[in-house]
Amino acid sequence: MQTHAQTGRIFRFTLRKEWLKLLLWLIGGAFYVIMGVVAFVEVYGDPLERQAMAMAMQNPAMEALFGRAIGIDNYTIGAMYSHTMTILGFALFAIMSILLVVRNTRSEEEDGILELIQALPTGRLAHTTSAIILLLVTNVLVALISAGLLIGLGDASMSTEGALLTGVIYGMTGLLFGAITLVTAQLSSNARGAMMLAFGALGLSYVFRIIGDSGMEVFSWISPLGLLYNTEPFVNNYWFPVWIALGISLVLIVLALFLKHQRDMGAGLLPDRSGRRHASAFLKTPIGFVVKLVKTPLIVWAVAMVFLGISYGSVIGDVEGLLEGNEVIEQIIAGDPDISMVDQFMAMILGVLAMAATIPSLQVMLRLRGEEKKNRLEKVIAGAHSRLIIFGSFIVLSAIVAIALQILQSLAFGGAAVAMGYDVSLVEIIVAGFAYIPAMYVMIGVAALLIGWLPKLTSLVWLYLGFAFMILYFGGLFDFPEIINGLSPFYHVPQMPIDDWNWIVTLALTGISLVLSVVGYLGYSRRDID
Amino acid sequence: MEKVIEINAIEKSFGKTKALNKVSFEVNKGEIVGFIGPNGAGKSTTIRILLGLIKADGGSATLFGKDVWKDAVDIHKRVAYVPGDVNLWPNLTGGQVIDLFLSMRGAKVDKERKEELIKRFEFDPTKKCRAYSKGNRQKVALIAAFSAEADVYIFDEPTAGLDPLQERVFQRCAREVLDKGASVLLSSHILSEVEQLCDRVAIIRQGEIVESGSLVDLRHLTRSQITLKTKEDIHTIDSQDFAHDVTRDKGEIVFQLDSDHLDDFLRFIQPYTVLKLESAPPKLEDLFMRHYESTKGGV
Repeated sequence: MQTHAQTGRIFRFTLRKEWLKLLLWLIGGAFYVIMGVVAFVEVYGDPLERQAMAMAMQNPAMEALFGRAIGIDNYTIGAMYSHTMTILGFALFAIMSILLVVRNTRSEEEDGILELIQALPTGRLAHTTSAIILLLVTNVLVALISAGLLIGLGDASMSTEGALLTGVIYGMTGLLFGAITLVTAQLSSNARGAMMLAFGALGLSYVFRIIGDSGMEVFSWISPLGLLYNTEPFVNNYWFPVWIALGISLVLIVLALFLKHQRDMGAGLLPDRSGRRHASAFLKTPIGFVVKLVKTPLIVWAVAMVFLGISYGSVIGDVEGLLEGNEVIEQIIAGDPDISMVDQFMAMILGVLAMAATIPSLQVMLRLRGEEKKNRLEKVIAGAHSRLIIFGSFIVLSAIVAIALQILQSLAFGGAAVAMGYDVSLVEIIVAGFAYIPAMYVMIGVAALLIGWLPKLTSLVWLYLGFAFMILYFGGLFDFPEIINGLSPFYHVPQMPIDDWNWIVTLALTGISLVLSVVGYLGYSRRDID
Repeated sequence: MEKVIEINAIEKSFGKTKALNKVSFEVNKGEIVGFIGPNGAGKSTTIRILLGLIKADGGSATLFGKDVWKDAVDIHKRVAYVPGDVNLWPNLTGGQVIDLFLSMRGAKVDKERKEELIKRFEFDPTKKCRAYSKGNRQKVALIAAFSAEADVYIFDEPTAGLDPLQERVFQRCAREVLDKGASVLLSSHILSEVEQLCDRVAIIRQGEIVESGSLVDLRHLTRSQITLKTKEDIHTIDSQDFAHDVTRDKGEIVFQLDSDHLDDFLRFIQPYTVLKLESAPPKLEDLFMRHYESTKGGV
């Protein structure tokens, strides 16, 4: 076949440049599964304790976070694993696949590498097909590894069929979002656009799942995440959503190949807008320059955060009535009857939102390194601005973004909660959101430190954020040792409205972030620019 | 003569912008054709159509008599291409990339030829591509192209980023492949390079071929620069039809002479005592500038 000539060779070559990245992703995925299984088997051996957890989980706020409660009547370890680990696992493998596809399709086309390859006797679709094979192989491995681990480590409640199904839906999510990305890579003429469209689809699918889980069931069938969640492994083991998702993926892949075959190299199907002729006065200032660099993704993030805040906020009001008078839950989960369960959920959701808002803040800071890698920074540094001004501009903007997003999403979250009739003060929620800002600053400080001293390892900060997220998300479910919990800056933040504002924590975290930033700058001011 | 590249009235639009308007030219076997024009004139667009990377809206383009879009894979087995801006995978070495490109041709890698080229271009193939400068990345593509036994070589500003010495190496390599009977299409900004290498040129401006033919033919269309010093003062030269842009400097007269009016000029100066007469041959640059200026003037 002419259009696929040399696909095999390109694929072998792709494997050679990708194997390390994929290996790390697979190890990360395996670790995620192991952590889940081992923790549940260890911590929730007692059926009574599981049943109490089941009742606590069965409310809109928790369902918005983890997914619709499944297998509640007989909340086995398998059911518990399916219920709490599935959605986040989906997100993990979807992100892996989105990045994989963009990296191996539109990015290389944008860089002009594809032009060189396609000028050789290779088929017009060979490069894209090679990326598809890589996507398939990776997700088949995800499925096999996950299923294998679940079979090996699970308890009696985790049937082989359920384990296989769990593995398959992990891989299927990756394949489906990879297929979506294959299409977005044809729509947008640049890698960033393709990635943003794909992540947009993931975000939308998450929000649809929340809406679906809070009652409007049709939405959870539209959402790929909701669709595959409905397989309910270890509980009902429905396989038909897998076939639906597989069918959709195949259609999307064929569509992507069709579009790729038709279009010109370098072109996208969505039009590019033309820009301004002159730089505005604001753009010419260092901070204005940084704002311009990150503006579009920030706007997208802000909109996404407002949506997420509203989605979470609108379910919180329902919780109260459901829990009222349920002494069993209140005793076991809250321990203290004075503390409202709803407040607890609210604190947890605020934490999750704060973590989400940390991502764009970090992106602003990491852009400094990104610009350096693209060799664009030297022009700025060689200009009239000192390194302090440049480094400072990124840090300051990153700090402002953290504050702005926290205000925005606390307002969205609190506003929605109040609108739904839950008795809470908006100010209280905004203050609770503010309590997280010092912890977010510590993250930015870590990024600054890495940029200053270990520029090649800057992405480690994402791993650190992921770790902090695990601690927050699963901290209530698994019993992590205190010392591990303590490594996350977010762990120390007072969980308002349950806890009170704590000046010591606020000042300590702010102090740490300042020290990290200054030390980071010291490294940055004396190291070579790549 | 056997035509290897034939472009016939191809058109291409990007949105509302018309990038190419009925562009036609051809390249014969064993011939090197220079393809010149200002930025944005449509050189790269034409080349990308030739390589089947983008699809022409109208007209026809063939290499070896085969359609550039439909038979791209077959055609590319006999074509080597070097773009003006080479980007490579940052975590692979230059040597790995060269081998990869060669292996995709399906032909066995001629190791000696490759090593010889690496030496001639003074290239270090053991470094990771992220460490290469623009010129060095360019060399990766050049070495891969010249190591391949192709029938047609297409270069799109191949020497951008190379130093003058490496430029010479490129020119020598280009001559070698011509001697072996291959054809070359060279798009370039460096007119002296085109002038030295090329048998024929095609000049493109605003998506249209405005001039094409052998350099010898084209020179007839241009003017030579004459520097003249005579004992007497010649005022009447200003009003002669053959003289353009007459200026005087320290008793010398400098003007542009229409190449096909040489005879008129010689008859005209016969009566005078000539102290100095210099004639500079028309440069491709002059030819180019004439078209370029008419763009600005809106002729």
